[in-house]
Amino acid sequence: MPERIIQTSGLTKIYGEVTAVDQLNLEVNEGEIFGFLGPNGSGKTTTILMLMGLTTPTSGTGRVGGYDIIKNSRDVRRIAGCLPEAAGYYEDLTAKENLDYFGQLADLPRVKREKRVNELLEFVGLGKWRDVKVEKFSRGMKQRLGIAQALIKDPKIIFLDEPTIGLDPQGTKEVRDLILRLNREQKLTVFLSSHLLHEVQQTCSRVGIIRQGKLIATDTIENLSRGIAKEEGYCVEFELDKVTRRLIEEIKTVKGVTSVEEEGGKLLVYMERDNRADVSRAITKYGATILLMKPREYTLEEIFLRYYKGAG
Amino acid sequence: MAGMMTVFRKELSDHLGSKRFLILFAIIILLSTLSAYQGADYIKNNPDAGFLAIFSGGRLAFSFISLMVYFGPLVGLALGFDSINKERTSGSLSVLLTYPIFRDSVFNGKFLAGVAAIASLVGGTIVIMCGVATPLLGFGPTLEQMVSIVALTLLTILYLAFWLSLGLLFSVLAKKTSTSMLASIATWLFSVMIVSVIAALVASLMVPLPFQPLGAPENFRGFGQATQTEEYRSLMQARSEIQTNIGRISPSNLYNEAASSILGLRASAFFVVGGMQQQIRPSLAQGIAASWPQVLAIFVGMLACFVISYLRFLRLEIRPGG
Ligand SMILES: Nc1ncnc2c1ncn2[C@@H]1O[C@H](COP(=O)(O)OP(=O)(O)O)[C@@H](O)[C@H]1O
Ligand SMILES: [Mg+2]
Repeated sequence: MPERIIQTSGLTKIYGEVTAVDQLNLEVNEGEIFGFLGPNGSGKTTTILMLMGLTTPTSGTGRVGGYDIIKNSRDVRRIAGCLPEAAGYYEDLTAKENLDYFGQLADLPRVKREKRVNELLEFVGLGKWRDVKVEKFSRGMKQRLGIAQALIKDPKIIFLDEPTIGLDPQGTKEVRDLILRLNREQKLTVFLSSHLLHEVQQTCSRVGIIRQGKLIATDTIENLSRGIAKEEGYCVEFELDKVTRRLIEEIKTVKGVTSVEEEGGKLLVYMERDNRADVSRAITKYGATILLMKPREYTLEEIFLRYYKGAG
Repeated sequence: MAGMMTVFRKELSDHLGSKRFLILFAIIILLSTLSAYQGADYIKNNPDAGFLAIFSGGRLAFSFISLMVYFGPLVGLALGFDSINKERTSGSLSVLLTYPIFRDSVFNGKFLAGVAAIASLVGGTIVIMCGVATPLLGFGPTLEQMVSIVALTLLTILYLAFWLSLGLLFSVLAKKTSTSMLASIATWLFSVMIVSVIAALVASLMVPLPFQPLGAPENFRGFGQATQTEEYRSLMQARSEIQTNIGRISPSNLYNEAASSILGLRASAFFVVGGMQQQIRPSLAQGIAASWPQVLAIFVGMLACFVISYLRFLRLEIRPGG
């Protein structure tokens, strides 16, 4: 049983008429990269703000690293680092001065602080820029500075709110690599919010999908994919040396096959249950050769859209 | 108190290194030094004026006090008007608040750093003025005068701190720094100019004079005589009282009155002996006592701005970009 580092129950935030976060029950395990996926305005930022104690929940409770997010919010902020949405820094201070200030706020003693600031600047690849004012930094550099900032308190968990938004592909890759390295090398738990499917797919071990403030699914990407497969029936992708209309008709007569689709030279065969043996026999009997056969995987995009429509 | 000293140190070093502050500091030091020269000159020619006259000026149109009346608000406002909203829009405030500090530490740290910057400006200026005047005069302030100087320093710091807390209030209420800057300029103009104009206008409407002072030269003769009457004098007295009272809604006027009292420039009814206004200089204690109501009013104003902005800040929805 893995340790739960985040646990919320019935967490709710209402702004006037708008329910930004609605009865959220969230569980995040220690050591994982958790992707918090949802479109703009679905309540991701509000959730992070509540977990970090920057805004008070209307109702519900939660714990981060064992500390109550309302009663012990300061303890939460001691062990959790955060790169908030649209984060900014002190433009007329250098990268080093910025980090040093945050180190002071995190109560690091001077010697330890100096060492940590230098290490982190190296880690995020800003070593050469340490004495340059932040106003000269590109967005990507600022975002890496933000990650260094989130790490300065040597946290147990970091919250990253849409960390690659507005970055170019190069900047995006740098940030993604940093996240993966942190998780791999330091076993750091990462809570990453995003509205970008591929970003979550590339980094996260588990995802929670949020829509209009409600958590509509939480699982690993494979499990979510499998869940859809169950609903959609079983689907196998075949690559053959030749495809003819007669062959397709032939496959359709196999017991259990519901439909056959041709997609970019490949055949997608839908069946009620796994009946690959009979299908491949029919194909060989017809005289065609199977070059490749594999169960169809769903892209996160398809999963995502399905959950969005499904919950509609 | 967690984090307050950290915020304080950073904000103070920001202030002391900022162009905005250094420019204002330079202007004030320059003009104050000039006024100290002029003041020393004046004292040489008027031996009974006393050392404190270097602050109230000689023949120059400005003195340390008038300088503070007019420029002081700009210093306070400049240190405060974008303190919170600039960090809100840039997003550094939301980063700051993810640290294990109390939210009020941020506000208190900023306020105290502003006060410390103000104190160094006021204290520095006054020390330089004394340093310029003493060798010129060949004598320094007496012990009693030194206490007056300290009282004047504290009063000036309080007056500037009032404007600082007003600036902070604007920076909490307005999301955009351009809005809070405009509000700051408006209140500054209101305090140093508009109130006096309004006060004069209201006084002349409330106490009309029985005749038009302007007209043909023969009327002028009559005018001269008319101003000698007891009735005319009491009307003018009433006018000036109304004007003074209305003027007191302006912190600048309050400061001016209090500073004059401390420097012993304000003759009050206290010193009218046997129907004759005596040219007795009020004592230090009397001066300080006379300045008390104005000091209290400025202090209450500062406290009100501080408390309102403090409470607003604690409830502020800290969302990046607004
Ligand atoms: N201060 C606020 N006042 C009113 N509504 C707000 C406020 N902040 C956020 N909201 C609303 O809450 C919802 C969730 O916003 P947010 O958490 O920022 O979403 P996300 O981060 O997923 O884009 C949105 O509908 C937004 O309009
Ligand atoms: Mg958001």
